[in-house]
Amino acid sequence: MQLAAAPHSDVNASDARRISIAQVLVYELRLRDAMSKPPITAAPTDTLRAVQHLMKARRISGVPISNGDKLLGLISIEDIIRALDKGYIDDRVEQHMTRNVITLRDHFSLVRAVAEFDRHEFGRFPVLDGNDRLVGVLTRGDITGCLMQHLERRAEEALAHEAALRAERVADDAADRVVIRAHVRTGDYDSAGKLSQRMRQVLRERGVAPEIRRRAAVVAFETETNIIIHSLGGEITATIDPNEVCIEAIDIGPGIENVEQAMQEGWSTAGRLPRELGFGAGMGLPNIKRCSDKLEIKSDNKRGTRLRSEIYLRKAGVST
Amino acid sequence: MKTPTLVKLQPLIAALRAEPLTDNLPESLTGCYISDLLSDVLAHAEPGMIWLTIQTHRNVVSVAATKDVAIVLFTCGRKPNVEIIAEAEAEGIALLTTPLTTYEAAGKLWEAGLRGENGHE
Repeated sequence: MQLAAAPHSDVNASDARRISIAQVLVYELRLRDAMSKPPITAAPTDTLRAVQHLMKARRISGVPISNGDKLLGLISIEDIIRALDKGYIDDRVEQHMTRNVITLRDHFSLVRAVAEFDRHEFGRFPVLDGNDRLVGVLTRGDITGCLMQHLERRAEEALAHEAALRAERVADDAADRVVIRAHVRTGDYDSAGKLSQRMRQVLRERGVAPEIRRRAAVVAFETETNIIIHSLGGEITATIDPNEVCIEAIDIGPGIENVEQAMQEGWSTAGRLPRELGFGAGMGLPNIKRCSDKLEIKSDNKRGTRLRSEIYLRKAGVST
Repeated sequence: MKTPTLVKLQPLIAALRAEPLTDNLPESLTGCYISDLLSDVLAHAEPGMIWLTIQTHRNVVSVAATKDVAIVLFTCGRKPNVEIIAEAEAEGIALLTTPLTTYEAAGKLWEAGLRGENGHE
């Protein structure tokens, strides 16, 4: 279990292998995100001179030749230079275009596109979709532009996220609120009670009546052990403000088959190891219920269990 | 909650032939609870009690701290490892161990005047 120092820091981001955002993007983004579309094309019956003018007007160095969205060939700036040199610039495109054009598919990742540029040394590729329709043109410049744009967006998102965290912190401070979070791993019996220990400390520092503090600690401890024993792992949060402690747990399954049955004292589905350690008395949920001022449990057989318990700090509730 | 009758600790330690594992022993006790099931202790132990168990793993300390139990008495000569003892000291929980069985230890405590008051309601 890892305890997050409340209320803001996120757990363990630094442990992940460091990969730059640009590296992630180059795998995540597809050609269709980066290519110029719709493609600027010419017809096979256009003259080479018309294509030359098109290149000049649109500042491009290659033009796919197509009939509608069917790719027929390609004219590059080198083809135009040769035509001017040899004096056939008024010929029709279809007489001189490259017909065996190497194309890329719009679902390719950008990393693959970069590899294709390195392999073929072309300035551009026509891009086809899954139905062989010409849908765009890709240059190295398109890739760079797309990466820059997405990096900028990620940077903005990160700034917005930080600002939101800061706002949350200010709100927590204003509300005199402390949030304790912990990831709970299945079978991690040694870590049971870490969150409730931290919570007890905060409640003691805040001068909460011992009877109320003990009830909150029982709920936190039983909730932690429930996740450890019965779930595939989950997260537990204790939110403490001047009025109440709210303990929330979310696990990732497999869910409680019959919540009513699980609420009965003595009912347990715990295995051998937890029983040997003194868990699995079938009293966890009944204890949680008895110590909570308000309790909600939602369990879905497929998705897991959500538990929310409130313990009021202002007035005395049930006695333990 | 009932008002507990306090019983002095020192004569109990002698009767139990108990060895203190921590040096934070309280002067007196409010009562006793015996169980090896953690949730059962969470449900029924009360602040200031001595808790008899054969469980020696670290969750015992968590449970004792959760309920403000004063002492955990490990019976049948059991002892937790040093990390658990350190944790208990940090939590303000005293630990004792006795060679007696749980039944014998309970008998000694009863004889010494540590009585239950009103059972399980």
